[in-house]
Amino acid sequence: MELAVQTRALGKRYGRTWALQDCALDVPAGRIAALVGPNGAGKTTLLHLAVGLLRPDAGEVRVFGRDPRSVLPDIGFVAQDTPLYRDFTAAELVTMGGKLNRRRWDAALARERLAMLGIPPDRPVGKLSGGQRAQVALALALAKRPRLLLLDEPIASLDPLARREFMQALMGAVAESETTVLLSSHLLADLERSCDYLIVLQQSRVQLTGAVDELLDTHRTLVGPRAGSESIAGVAKVVRASHTERQSTLLVRRGDGPVDPLWTEHEVTLEDLVLAYLAEATATRVEWEVPA
Amino acid sequence: MIWLTWRQHRRQALFTLGALAVLAAIMVPTGLAMHTKYDSLGLPACREALGSASMITQTEAVSRCESLGHQFQQEFSGMVFVAVLFVVLPVLVGVFFGAPLVSREFEQGTHRLVWTQGVSRLQWALAKFGLVGAITVVLAVGYALGVSWWFRPLVSASTGRLTYLSFDVQGVVPVAYTLFALALGIFAGTYWRKVLPAMGISLVGFAAVRVAIEVLARPRYLPARTLSFSPAGDQTPNPASGDWVMSEGVRNAAGELVLPNARIGPCPPSGCGAGPGPGEAGAGAYNWMEFQPGDRFWTFQAIETGIFALLAAALVYFALRRLRTIA
Repeated sequence: MELAVQTRALGKRYGRTWALQDCALDVPAGRIAALVGPNGAGKTTLLHLAVGLLRPDAGEVRVFGRDPRSVLPDIGFVAQDTPLYRDFTAAELVTMGGKLNRRRWDAALARERLAMLGIPPDRPVGKLSGGQRAQVALALALAKRPRLLLLDEPIASLDPLARREFMQALMGAVAESETTVLLSSHLLADLERSCDYLIVLQQSRVQLTGAVDELLDTHRTLVGPRAGSESIAGVAKVVRASHTERQSTLLVRRGDGPVDPLWTEHEVTLEDLVLAYLAEATATRVEWEVPA
Repeated sequence: MIWLTWRQHRRQALFTLGALAVLAAIMVPTGLAMHTKYDSLGLPACREALGSASMITQTEAVSRCESLGHQFQQEFSGMVFVAVLFVVLPVLVGVFFGAPLVSREFEQGTHRLVWTQGVSRLQWALAKFGLVGAITVVLAVGYALGVSWWFRPLVSASTGRLTYLSFDVQGVVPVAYTLFALALGIFAGTYWRKVLPAMGISLVGFAAVRVAIEVLARPRYLPARTLSFSPAGDQTPNPASGDWVMSEGVRNAAGELVLPNARIGPCPPSGCGAGPGPGEAGAGAYNWMEFQPGDRFWTFQAIETGIFALLAAALVYFALRRLRTIA
């Protein structure tokens, strides 16, 4: 299995604060991976490390087994807020892409996409709507015919309709190619339907990573009698527990063997899973010292 | 890369060309007027006759030539203030070309667009700095030649081209100043990464370095010469020598400087004024001056150009090194 992105003990520090710490990830090639986490979790830092904009302070990151800066022609990147030269027209940006990517540049693809979306070629992109600008940025990234496409909150600033159009355009474009996609969002709902690989980041650490179907398969919600902290047969780890007076609801990772029949098993949704892992990370956080 | 650099900065370039054209429209007529007047007064011939020796014999012709020079200076005294404008021009290149070059990319986030394409950062930086640098050199050479031509009559009618202000806008140093200003702007842009702070720092930094070198270093490039001459003799400093007099005064017989910034004897034909007489300084007093000879002009130009070129190269090196690590 070829790995598109691989990180080992990866860390990045700004001053004394670690923006990303001890990050170990394997994103297999061909996946559409969602990078989920609240604002400030380290998503942008991770993506910037993967595209070589930042250099790690600890560990290493490899893209297709190599240093990111040496495979830049194979990486398409759409940065947060889709920065573009605002006084350039879309047509000029396509020309610019050709000048900056001599090895491989599919100008026809970019023009076709932009024409299809009805984006005027001769207006400065600064005068286009946010959704149109995002589409221009995506078209530029796709015209590199990248093997890895990294998108940093591409839809965060778009309205719901533009979000859907953007995701449709993205999925349509990568469906026919072998492109690996890694896109970040602080909203899982936007990505849930499209992604088959999940990375949950919280407080600069990776909380959960794996293929979506595997994750759904290995996690269960258990409902049963009010439980203490004793271990349950067939459960490897309790991710999150909530209790009422008489019963407990647990989100667990399954272990070997069947689960104690005392408990009723339910399948989990991706959203339950992500929320459970995010909540767990929040609970272990160092709290403010508030006098009782 | 060249296409991109031109596309990004063409408006700036055209604006600069327009400003230079306006400047030329003012400078050419005034320059022609000065050259014509200079020639019609007969100054070239009389200056030629004086030669370039530091001391000459005081004659009728010498004082006539000197008073012609004063006449010319009187007429065009306002032009010296225009020359101050020329001293300021190089820093504008640093502030408006250099400082935004990298910092604007950061401010608008477009470094994340351009540094993730198939061109390495180093290539990007070299192409950008190279092209802007080349355009700057062309502009600066034109500026230096133009100002040298424009300023020549005023300079030769007065104290010569080694003195402050006239040294700074002639020869090759303006080109070096301009490149230094550009490099300083680029450097500031890579460290502060915001357009306005980078502009401010390049403005202040340029002024500080220029003044420091001008005041502290330049008078010491070569050991100054000294000259003593008796007030009784008929020898006088040559007004056409172009010597840069750094200090002068009257010393008494024991060699102590008793009257700084003064000179005694020989009186011009118009008669002695109420200046200090030999009586005050005592018998045996003599005139003394410390100066850099006018024929060191090109040596000094070369030294100062070298200093600023080295500074510019160092700043570009640090800017490139910085660019490797920032994001």
